[in-house]
Amino acid sequence: MNNLSKIGFVFGLVVMLASCKSDNAPNYQYFPDMYEPVGYETYGKVSFLPDGMAAMQPAENTIPRGFMPNSIPNDLEGRELARLQPSPLDSLQSEANLATGKELYDIYCAICHGNQGNGQGNLVKREKILGVPSYDDAARNITVGSTYHVIYYGLNSMGSYAGQLNHDERWQVSEYVMKLKEDLTK
Amino acid sequence: MASHYEAPIRKPLVLGDKGYHDVSVDIAAPVERRANKQWWIVFSIALAAFLWGIGCIVYTISTGIGTWGLNKTVGWAWDITNFVWWVGIGHAGTLISAVLLLFRQKWRMAINRSAEAMTIFSVIQAGLFPIIHMGRPWLGYWVLPIPNQFGSLWVNFNSPLLWDVFAISTYLSVSLVFWWTGLLPDFAMIRDRAVKPFQKKIYSLVSFGWTGRAKDWQRFEEVSLVLAGLATPLVLSVHTIVSFDFATSVIPGWHTTIFPPYFVAGAIFSGFAMVQTLLIIMRKVCRLEAYITVQHIELMNIVIMITGSIVGCAYITELFIAWYSGVEYEQYAFLNRATGPYWWSYLLMMSCNVLSPQIMWFKKIRTSIVVSFIISIVVNIGMWFERFVIIVTSLHRDYLPSSWTMFSPTFVDIGIFIGTIGFFFTLFLLYARTFPVIAQAEVKSILKSSGERYKKLRDAGQPLYQINKGANVTSSVTEAESTTDDDTGTEKVSSLLDTLGSFDATKETADDLKKVKGIGPQMEQTLNQIGIFTFAQVSRMTEKEYNLLDEITGSFPGRAQRDDWAGQANRLNNKD
Repeated sequence: MNNLSKIGFVFGLVVMLASCKSDNAPNYQYFPDMYEPVGYETYGKVSFLPDGMAAMQPAENTIPRGFMPNSIPNDLEGRELARLQPSPLDSLQSEANLATGKELYDIYCAICHGNQGNGQGNLVKREKILGVPSYDDAARNITVGSTYHVIYYGLNSMGSYAGQLNHDERWQVSEYVMKLKEDLTK
Repeated sequence: MASHYEAPIRKPLVLGDKGYHDVSVDIAAPVERRANKQWWIVFSIALAAFLWGIGCIVYTISTGIGTWGLNKTVGWAWDITNFVWWVGIGHAGTLISAVLLLFRQKWRMAINRSAEAMTIFSVIQAGLFPIIHMGRPWLGYWVLPIPNQFGSLWVNFNSPLLWDVFAISTYLSVSLVFWWTGLLPDFAMIRDRAVKPFQKKIYSLVSFGWTGRAKDWQRFEEVSLVLAGLATPLVLSVHTIVSFDFATSVIPGWHTTIFPPYFVAGAIFSGFAMVQTLLIIMRKVCRLEAYITVQHIELMNIVIMITGSIVGCAYITELFIAWYSGVEYEQYAFLNRATGPYWWSYLLMMSCNVLSPQIMWFKKIRTSIVVSFIISIVVNIGMWFERFVIIVTSLHRDYLPSSWTMFSPTFVDIGIFIGTIGFFFTLFLLYARTFPVIAQAEVKSILKSSGERYKKLRDAGQPLYQINKGANVTSSVTEAESTTDDDTGTEKVSSLLDTLGSFDATKETADDLKKVKGIGPQMEQTLNQIGIFTFAQVSRMTEKEYNLLDEITGSFPGRAQRDDWAGQANRLNNKD
């Protein structure tokens, strides 16, 4: 009995110790030797930079290796110009490009435009936003180049997706959008 | 007593006219006596060194290993040198208590307790170094294969450093159990003699209720033998594993198959030297010359000589193999030892370890206590340098000449080493005051075969003991009642008063002797009858006077000495 109460006492102590952990705060650490980074984390906070952010804007008009800036400007003229732009992707790989394009489309676009591209995405069905056109809208007459331009700069209520998708991905999505348009007009 | 035959060539192991009671009294005396001034002085020095060492350790751990003199090439130096040195010293204790037990060496009885204490205390010192030389000692528990949250990340069992962990911890725990088991009857003896309740309580606790029944003794002997049988391979394997730290490496000068036996021999060598150092002092300080005799010292010197010769052989073997191998790196390693920048440490190691024990071939030298003491210290210096030479000279110049460098220790390296020496002596001094430093039960078991008194009785063809029925009891009572009337009594009284000085009632005033702990009204009366009235008289009592007093009063034999009446009276006298 005496032994049992001792075991109970120790067990109680362990339970009490365990209750010191709080879900609303980071847990206690034992000698956090290399837990905190010495270098700068991408999204880390630093005190000495203007915005307190380690991530700073690159200087204007600089071009990193392996990147080409979009030469078509974001205005009405540019949009017309873009309409004629062909896809630079390898047409022999179109099968794979379309598959990737579908994946990306389902992630970034389908929430508003709908999986079929008919403007009946989830947000539209739930009436969170309105006025999303279908791809087969004759008045709009979208092409692969104009789709790319819209993804790059955004149009009206739609924002730019240049930050989410890279150059190849934008063209892959554009090609997939053209395929959806075909399917709708059929 | 024809039933026992012992070769007449064997010298007595217990000197003097000692019976069982004398053994108990002599061994309990240091525990029951108060510590004297010298003890406190030495203890303070040891404690100061220990505290200094703690400071250095805290500094190292909180600041970093960079406070030591290590560099990128020489990553092990004083830390592992001291570790191996202390482990080596620890080996003698187990060797004495286990191996000599297996070989039925009776002379181990008087030295095994202290040798084992030395083992325990030096393994504790050794155990410090593997922890404090870690870069992150707070993660030291990672060396243990404990199921954990890193996907049950395990240790690699291929490293001799991990084997060290198991070797040292097993060694310490087995030694501790072995030591403590042997202590039970001795603690029980102190418990049964204890007068003060606190001491009684403490020794009752540590003696685990030992009652000394036949069954207990039978099991005790069996356990001792089994533990000795276990400890012997342990003692050989522990230092072997320690030697693997070097022998399994690829460093020229380290990668040698001779290391395991050679390190073990060195361990016994240095361990016995340390036992020698400590016991030569202890026999004097604790007045145990009758038990730790010159013969013990001589036998230990012989072990030192033999193991020293083994170590010497190993040195020569290493040199021969280096030459014979045709490996330039190996050859250079030994050339570097002899003629490199650390030639002085190699010379010290060679002269201290190979040459100095050889003088033990002369009987005059090995039976000389002073020379033994000096040699024992010299050997330990030599063995420290052996480890230093092996570690540092092999590391500071090896394969790539661009990595050649030098090593010099900082004050932290040295301070930690001094600290461990202080810690060792702190523990040993405390031990010497609180533990029965000789295994009285074992000494009593050889008393009748190897005691001088019994040997003489046997030689003279006399019986070893005589029973005189009740003589003691009646005579003591009559003596106590009529001390002064007795003829022999008056003789003793006068000889007692000769040294204590007589009391002149016209000039002096009688003190209240009851203030002395252990003197009651009855005893004060008796003392007054004898003619002892003042503290000054009591304070002059020494062992001889105590015995005289015991003979006169016949009551409470040994009581006066145990309570240290003289010391108490001296203090009381100074207070007035």
